[in-house]
Amino acid sequence: MAGLKHRQNGIEIISYYTGYIVLIVASLMTIPIITSLLFFEWNPMLDFIISDAIAFILGILMIMYGMRSKERNHDIQWKHGFVIASLSWIVLTVLCAIPYMLSGHSLSFVDACFDVMSGFTTTGLALTQDLDHISIGLNMWRHILTFIGGQGMVVLTLTFLGKEMGGAFKMYVGEGKDIELVPNVKGTARQIWKISMIYLIIGTIVLWIVGMSIGLKPVSAFLHALFIFASSWSTGGFAPNSQNIMYYHSIMFETVSMVIFILGSLNFGIHYAIWQGKRKEIVKNIEIQSFLVTSFVACMLALAGLAKLDVYPNAIAGFRRVIFNVISAHTTTGFGSIYARQFALEWGDFGILIMVVAMLIGGSACSTAGGFKGLRVGIVFKGLIMDVKKLLLPERSMNVYKYHHLKDRVLDDTVIKSSAIIIICYIVTFTTGTILGTFYGYPISASAFESASVTGNVGLSIGVTTSSMPTAMKLFYIIAMYLGRLEFLSVFALIGYFLGGVKKACQNILKH
Amino acid sequence: MPKYIKTLIWVLLFTSALTFQVNAQSFTDINELIEKAKEYNGEEVTIQGEVIGESMKRGNYSWININDGTNAIGIWLDSDIAEEILFYGNYKCKGDTVKITGIFNRACKEHGGETDLHSSSLEIVKNGYEVKDQISPVKIIIAVILTILTLELMLILVKVIKNRRL
Repeated sequence: MAGLKHRQNGIEIISYYTGYIVLIVASLMTIPIITSLLFFEWNPMLDFIISDAIAFILGILMIMYGMRSKERNHDIQWKHGFVIASLSWIVLTVLCAIPYMLSGHSLSFVDACFDVMSGFTTTGLALTQDLDHISIGLNMWRHILTFIGGQGMVVLTLTFLGKEMGGAFKMYVGEGKDIELVPNVKGTARQIWKISMIYLIIGTIVLWIVGMSIGLKPVSAFLHALFIFASSWSTGGFAPNSQNIMYYHSIMFETVSMVIFILGSLNFGIHYAIWQGKRKEIVKNIEIQSFLVTSFVACMLALAGLAKLDVYPNAIAGFRRVIFNVISAHTTTGFGSIYARQFALEWGDFGILIMVVAMLIGGSACSTAGGFKGLRVGIVFKGLIMDVKKLLLPERSMNVYKYHHLKDRVLDDTVIKSSAIIIICYIVTFTTGTILGTFYGYPISASAFESASVTGNVGLSIGVTTSSMPTAMKLFYIIAMYLGRLEFLSVFALIGYFLGGVKKACQNILKH
Repeated sequence: MPKYIKTLIWVLLFTSALTFQVNAQSFTDINELIEKAKEYNGEEVTIQGEVIGESMKRGNYSWININDGTNAIGIWLDSDIAEEILFYGNYKCKGDTVKITGIFNRACKEHGGETDLHSSSLEIVKNGYEVKDQISPVKIIIAVILTILTLELMLILVKVIKNRRL
């Protein structure tokens, strides 16, 4: 009986905090409502009013249901924090898909949820139909989703609702972030948003100027700048038109967005350290070292492989078509400067393999990027070197091995093990996606490319992701994006919590 | 004699059907250009589709983008020709449908390896038009009801929170 009451309390806690997260994200729908109003897009405005109201109603009901837990001052446990983070992502995916569905640009609700999860997880794959004719309001919403997804919904809620969110750190970690920029987590959340907003202003202005210089009209250039910044910074990969970054036909536009997505793929801790004047962090940090080495090797190998196949005519073409795409893959952005099918038709198996590896490695931990993360790759690599050194040194020697990530840290077996476990989880998800693709008749290279893209939250496509692909693949890709973004543990906690509840309910039924 | 007339009519119908067939194949799908890029590279091709977005003027030349329903591609053309286009496709407009003939490049040397088409001629096949927003009354009613419900619930929530603090 006590167990049942305990679980009831747990559900109330989860409901209360999830409700607040829903409310905060729902309130963001006022931005596309205002946008639609400004551009006289009446239908999209109504779509967003309806969706916003539904989200608000659900959020308020969840808070009211869970309010008793707050009155009784129940503490949030780690499991609650993880479940709140992972559950709020699912609830918000469904709610934020409503405007897509009402717009008529999604063929099914699964497609709408696919696009929202793709936005939240900063993947950037899209099943939205007729992208070139969607409203500015809906485009605004797509890019808001990817921008807040990059920072995290929990981080957003903590920024606005410091007082109401007790046990904040547990929810923050549950969303796949662990860095502490300042001593308290609410302050850290605010710093993350501060960094993002300053870059948003600078990046949008630069892209706006570039946009006008390449022939876009001022208002249109501003909107394109805002959308492309949101996508670049959050390493998302959405773009307002179906041609993605190719729509602009500009090396300047591509270069500026590349700088932004490289910055977006760096750890917020590194940004903060540099802002605090610790410039040596750029040279010493294991993540930056790892990113520089892997991205350089990937670019050189891809250039060599494609030069052998004589795919591109000159160095500028090599930069715009090879380096741009490899870095876009490595930072898990997903902007494509070639057509999806050109990867399959022109890049050859070697080029595809390089892209798959780059997509799986991904960007930095506690950034907007996905993938294994450079930190884990660096730790496992250093761990390997440490083990080799231990073998070669006399048995009595006791060496302490260290790595530098914002501060000097001891490299021990626990750190290496936890990094290796997450990498294994990514590989298992990637392999499952590849097998599923081949099961449905796609070539193995195409299946592997697309699976790496969803698992690493990249968004580049080789042509597999279309609205006509099997529903099972769409659902698996949604799950893979979700798992990859939350780095598995929160989702496993949610599944465990749900199964635990089912088990206890069954036991109670049997007792009665 | 009627037999000859009948035969003549059949022959005419058959040849006109052939003409229709030829017309239907007088342009290439953009997706086909991408799928068979090596085959079409450097060849003169004709595509037909809707002009989308806006033109981007770069000196005497401009970029426009064409979507034919299978895919979209960038067209490099003389700015004077681009000015003939009146409607560009977006949420509020159906863009002009144009037929464009030009040289297809799989990886254009002039444009950083871009897959593009350098246009030599443009013909507006169908004029674009403004698309009017058809607002459904049902949508308005649902929006009003839900908004009132949300406001009511918000008031209740605020009251509950205030009472809790007291």
